[in-house]
Amino acid sequence: MMTKQVRYEALVKALHGDLYRYAYWLCHEKQVAEDLVQETFLRAWRALDSLKDEKAAKPWLITILRRENARRFERKRFDMSEYEEANITDTKSVTTEQELENYWLREKIAQLPPEYSEPLILQVLGGFSGEDIATMLNLNKNTVMTRLFRARNQLKEALEAEPVKRGIYNG
Amino acid sequence: MDDLQFRRAIYADPKNQDADTIAAQQNDASKRQFAQDICQLDEKIMRALQVPVPEGLSEKLILRQTLASHQVQKRKTRVHLALAASVAIVGGLMLNFMQFSSAYTNLGDYALAHVYHEQGSFANNATNQVSLTALNQKMATFDGNFSRTLGKLIFADYCRFDGMKSLHLVYQGKTSPVTVFIVPKNEQLSFSADFNDKKLFGSSMEFNHSNIIVVADKNESLGQWQQNISSTVSWSI
Repeated sequence: MMTKQVRYEALVKALHGDLYRYAYWLCHEKQVAEDLVQETFLRAWRALDSLKDEKAAKPWLITILRRENARRFERKRFDMSEYEEANITDTKSVTTEQELENYWLREKIAQLPPEYSEPLILQVLGGFSGEDIATMLNLNKNTVMTRLFRARNQLKEALEAEPVKRGIYNG
Repeated sequence: MDDLQFRRAIYADPKNQDADTIAAQQNDASKRQFAQDICQLDEKIMRALQVPVPEGLSEKLILRQTLASHQVQKRKTRVHLALAASVAIVGGLMLNFMQFSSAYTNLGDYALAHVYHEQGSFANNATNQVSLTALNQKMATFDGNFSRTLGKLIFADYCRFDGMKSLHLVYQGKTSPVTVFIVPKNEQLSFSADFNDKKLFGSSMEFNHSNIIVVADKNESLGQWQQNISSTVSWSI
C-alpha cells in the first residue's frame, strides 16, 4: 500500500517538468510559472485523496494549474499587451542554428493568441488527444481542432515568411 | 478526402492516424510531403516548447509540501490535546458530582433509608445500655446536653448522616427500637417535619444548629418522644 507521501513524491517527480513548461507557456514568466507550479502541487497534496486514477493525474494537475492561473488574474490584472517585454526564456547561449531557430520559434509561439497556443501546447507537450484537450479547456472538440489548425497554420506561415538568414552577421 | 479537408486534419493533428488521412497520403505524394513537413514543424515546435525546468524544482515542491503537512500535523496534535483535556475535565466533574452529591433530597428520606440499612444491627431487647454521661460526652460535639435519660439507650455513637458527622441513638421502644438522629444543619437536605412509609414514622425538630430526628414504628407516640426530647435537651451557646 502506497502512502500518501510516496504517491505525492512520485507525482512530483514524474510531472513537475511538464507542468512547469505548461505553466511557463501560460504566463511567459519563469518566476510566475514556478509559483504557479508550487501552488498547484500544494493544492494537489491537499486533494490527493480525490485522485483515484493515477492515469488521470496529468489532466487533473493541469486543471488545477489553469484554475490557479485564472486566480492570479482575479488578484491582479495584468496588462496582456505588455507581455512582449517579459522576455521569452533563455537566450544566453544562442550558439547553434538549432538553438537560434528554437529561440525564434518560441517568440512566435508566445505571440500566438492564448486561445490558440494553449491547445497546441497541450497537444505537443502534454500529448493529449483532441477529446482530452476539449474536456480540460471546456470546449467543443471541433473548436479545439480548429484552433489547433489555426495555430499550426500561423506558425507555418510565419516560418515561411521568415528571411532565410536570421540573426546578426558581423563583418 | 479533398485537399482542404486533408490539410485541416493534418494541421489539427499531424500524428493523425485516421484511416481516411492515411489512405489519402498513400495515394498522393504531395499530400505525403505536406504531412511530413507538418510533422517536421511539430518537431520544431516540440523542441521550442522544451523550456528548461529550473533545477531542484521537484525538491522544492516536496519540501514545501513536507513543511505544510508538518504544520497541519502540529495543529492537529494541539486540537487532540485540547480534546483530551476537555474530556478529562468533564470526567472529573462528573465523578465529583456523582460521588459527593446525595441521592436523597430531604432529611426524612435519608433518615428512613439509614434506619432500614441498620435495622438488623439492633435488637429491641438488647442487654447493653449506654449511660447518660457517655451520651452527653458525645453530645458535647453538637454543643448539646440531655438532662435525663429518655429511656433505655441501647446504642449511641457517631455516624455519617449523608456525609455529615452526626449522632445516632437507639432507644428501646415498645415493639421495635426507636432511632434518634442528631444532625448538624445542612443545606443539601431540605427539612421535612413529618415523614413516614408503610412501617416507620418519623418527625424532625429544628434547633439552632442541629436537627433532631426521631424514627419509630407505628406503636410509638412520636409526639411524646418529641416532647421528651425538647424538655430534656439543652444547647450551650
